[in-house]
Amino acid sequence: MRVSTLTTVVALFITLTFLTVPAQHKTVGTERTKTDSTASVAVANVEPINLDGLKDLISKPKSKPLLVNFWATYCDPCRDEFPDLVKVDGDFRPKSLDFVTVSLDDVADIKTKVPQFLSQMKATMPAYLLDVSDPEPAINAVDPKWQGALPATFLYNSKGEVVFKHFGRVNTAELREAIERVVKN
Amino acid sequence: MKKRIVSIVLGALFVITAAVIAGSGRNVSEVPAPPAIGATIDDFSLPDVNGQEHALKSLKGKNGTVLIFIAVQCPVSNAYNDRMEKLAQDYQAKGIAVIGINANSSEDAAAVKAHATEKHLTFTILKDSGNKVADKLGAAVTPEAYFLDGNNKLVYHGRIDNSRNPETIESNDLRQAMDSALAGKAVEKPEAKAFGCSIKRVS
Repeated sequence: MRVSTLTTVVALFITLTFLTVPAQHKTVGTERTKTDSTASVAVANVEPINLDGLKDLISKPKSKPLLVNFWATYCDPCRDEFPDLVKVDGDFRPKSLDFVTVSLDDVADIKTKVPQFLSQMKATMPAYLLDVSDPEPAINAVDPKWQGALPATFLYNSKGEVVFKHFGRVNTAELREAIERVVKN
Repeated sequence: MKKRIVSIVLGALFVITAAVIAGSGRNVSEVPAPPAIGATIDDFSLPDVNGQEHALKSLKGKNGTVLIFIAVQCPVSNAYNDRMEKLAQDYQAKGIAVIGINANSSEDAAAVKAHATEKHLTFTILKDSGNKVADKLGAAVTPEAYFLDGNNKLVYHGRIDNSRNPETIESNDLRQAMDSALAGKAVEKPEAKAFGCSIKRVS
């Protein structure tokens, strides 16, 4: 009896481990060579944003906390975390969170790959594409410590202060906690 | 007694599970810091796409060496293929060697070799399967360049130039650094943020 209980517990944990680990491995997982274009929903609208526009976006006075996610269609961890971000948007927008995404894809992809992916994700937050010939000043304007690697996620409180930032695939639980703290205050 | 054994087993499995999960999701935040400008890069050795081992000291140019982390599938790295090949050709005669390094765990040596053939990349490409050199140099993205002078001192680290699109290049950072070093001058801008796809490290 003792052996069978132990066996059940061990089996349960091995199952849980295997269920969880592949999800994590996706952050370093296989490359995707093309954007799926099977979405049947309306194609999302993506606006170009230049350096001044980006500076305005992050520094202007805010009536609500603002979440900004920098991403690109060619970035696997960005694509992997996107469904979680869409859920975050759905859960927190009604609680007064503004959320915008800024794609660092090539400007040539503004009407194709980028909106196609967003539509496929059913993402409805305002979407921008960084339209600059030199990304360095934009990266430095956002955060001098950011090396430009994607994804990168920044949460600003309504005073415009960065209260959470993460380079690489975001830990959704940590992000949600950080948002909870600012939307409540 | 039975409960106690079960709780010990439960506890141990929790720890193991947590450790496995924590170790598997390595991301950008965990890329080691790059060496400081001016630091001497120790010799290292990696296999090329045919499996032949090369040490940095056997590949380096007398006036310096450029190491560029590149990728097979990254569109940003691929936008630079022609520029990297031209860089290698232009500076070979000036005593600077250009070496590509592929550190993506998702791209094996055969894929790197096929890609180099298809894209006409003739410079040596090394395969950094365990991210040994990517970690040592703190490389985060592709393409990301390191220019070492003739004594393996790091004199430039960062992007090749400012623009993925060759028609909108305004600042040829890597070439300017190489030209300054060849002219015996200090490099004016020794760092410029590299921009591209995250290197897919081994987990």
